[in-house]
Amino acid sequence: MKIGIISFAHMHAFSYASCLQKIEGVELAAISDEDTERGRKASEQLGVAYYHNFHELLQTDIDAVIICTENAKHAEVAIAAANAKKHILCEKPLATNIEDAWKMIEACKANHVKLQTAFPVRFNPPVKRVKQMIDNGDLGRVIAIRGTNRGTMPGGWFVDADLSGGGAVLDHTVHVIDLMRWFMNSEVKEVYAEIDTRFHDVEIDDCGLLTIEFENGVFASHDPSWSRCETFPTWGDVTLEIIGTNGVTKLDAFAQHMMLYSDKQNKVSEQFWGNDFDLGLIEDFIACIREDRDPSITGEDGLRAMEVALAAYQSAQEKKPIILNR
Amino acid sequence: MIKVAVIGAGTMGSVHSDAYTNMKNADLVGIVDIRRNVAEELAQKCGTRAYSSLEELLAHEDPAVIDVCVPTYLHKSYVKRIASAKKHVICEKPIARHLEDAKEMIDHCEQEGVRLFIAQVLRFFPDYKKAYDLVLEEAVGTVGTVRTMRGGVFPTAWEDWYANTDKSGTLIVDMMIHDFDFLRWCFGDVERVYAKSLLGREQNRMDHALVSLRFKNGIIAHAEGTWAYPDGFKTELEIAGDQGILVHDSDLATAIRTSIRTSSTSGSGVAVPESPLNNNPYYLELEHFLDCIVTGKEPIIQAKDAYKALEISIAALQSVQTGQPVHL
Repeated sequence: MKIGIISFAHMHAFSYASCLQKIEGVELAAISDEDTERGRKASEQLGVAYYHNFHELLQTDIDAVIICTENAKHAEVAIAAANAKKHILCEKPLATNIEDAWKMIEACKANHVKLQTAFPVRFNPPVKRVKQMIDNGDLGRVIAIRGTNRGTMPGGWFVDADLSGGGAVLDHTVHVIDLMRWFMNSEVKEVYAEIDTRFHDVEIDDCGLLTIEFENGVFASHDPSWSRCETFPTWGDVTLEIIGTNGVTKLDAFAQHMMLYSDKQNKVSEQFWGNDFDLGLIEDFIACIREDRDPSITGEDGLRAMEVALAAYQSAQEKKPIILNR
Repeated sequence: MIKVAVIGAGTMGSVHSDAYTNMKNADLVGIVDIRRNVAEELAQKCGTRAYSSLEELLAHEDPAVIDVCVPTYLHKSYVKRIASAKKHVICEKPIARHLEDAKEMIDHCEQEGVRLFIAQVLRFFPDYKKAYDLVLEEAVGTVGTVRTMRGGVFPTAWEDWYANTDKSGTLIVDMMIHDFDFLRWCFGDVERVYAKSLLGREQNRMDHALVSLRFKNGIIAHAEGTWAYPDGFKTELEIAGDQGILVHDSDLATAIRTSIRTSSTSGSGVAVPESPLNNNPYYLELEHFLDCIVTGKEPIIQAKDAYKALEISIAALQSVQTGQPVHL
């Protein structure tokens, strides 16, 4: 199977590329990037063909593409890829507005190609285990969930609203909302959010707090802030606390690490030794194509997580809870 | 597809059998335990056949490799009989209770032309592998001192053999050998050992040991082992170099902490820590051994490494008993 990667604007592209190279029977055939320097460098590093224009890449005999452009360009690229009959794995957030997300979903449906949203945290073994505990009923009925996905400020196009569609709240809400939805098979009904720029000199939101209620009556909170300072020992976190009628579980998706205090780097850092869950995501994407089944994380999953972040922005602006109407 | 059989349906036999059951290229053809009912129970769970003895297994099945998961003092007898039957051998750690036995096993397997793999599984734990890689990358510079800790509650098993020093060699031979092997893997051979433990004092199903190790390259290491905790199991590792310190604590690396209500009326609950991985280290280890059989390549842990690790354990035991440092 031949896969192409469209754009290295999002740094996850390199991780996905190395995952592809680990899977038997799969070939990273070519990449495209409208940034010539970035694209050439990546193509040399990976030893694959380079196209400046993604349309040229789509004319080749690749079976699928991974889209790692800036968020605002996902829709244009995905729709073209779907029309070229290529299966799609799209970096999160799926898009920057609901209309674009629907167009992407519809284009993939019309062309009978897979559309998977890149939520790799679902493939983190501790996260999978907690999903299993909830499904088994070990915790009883879920009452409430508390989540965090805090990080360092990524800079670059991430802080340019025209390209990213939003700051910390869009960037770091979608993973954890996806996990909450997945754990409970329920949709978000209402969102209240406080959002601000309090950490960095940027023209975009860098912190916030979401308070959420699901259709099943469970309430939850989530912190998506780019609040980790430079000396924080890692890029950020994904944590969830799940309160059930029969018990409580605390999940730290990156707990499997040791600490390195380095005088060489004048830095303290977490050294992660758990399983690479990007690999789990890519393997699943390849498997859904090979087995011709629905992706385990669909385009609609991407849309549902994204619309919660968008509702959070609306809530912060209007200073009131927003009911999601679908 | 490689045909595998497991001897011993206790704790490790169950873990290994489960791993083979989930392995694509392994065919678990039988489980042997002198306790027929225990063998039956595990065999049923793994979808294979139960046997009461090695001889009965060999009469009915033709495994290419046999995995020995019996108490330490029985390793030699099984390993030698399996090798004589021209089957490759995987054997639980420690390789043997005594160095002479270990040597006899290695020599016998060599004579019979079969391979001997010793399941020093720590080298397949992702946390310890990460530490090993970082040491090799000189992430902490030149290492000066190292501290290891391993242990928890006193183990309970068939005939309480862990409590019998002649059979288990205490936690110094049974458990601390993990850390001794890891340290040797990272830092090379040991020059001398000095140790204290509860051996020779009042033990009463409790044991604790503090071992001082001086390596040939000058590194000073402290290894602590315990079977004196009221419950649980944990490991710690600290590697201090002239340019950095690496710290591992299994308690802190716990990804999931769950507390389940025991009854709806009482306020008490049970706390369960978990740190799940896609494939457990035992699976990775056994998969590696089978791969070595198929490809003929040398394993990450060779039988002679397991012998050298036992040498450190035996030296520590000797130091406990004599009160003197032991030079290797």
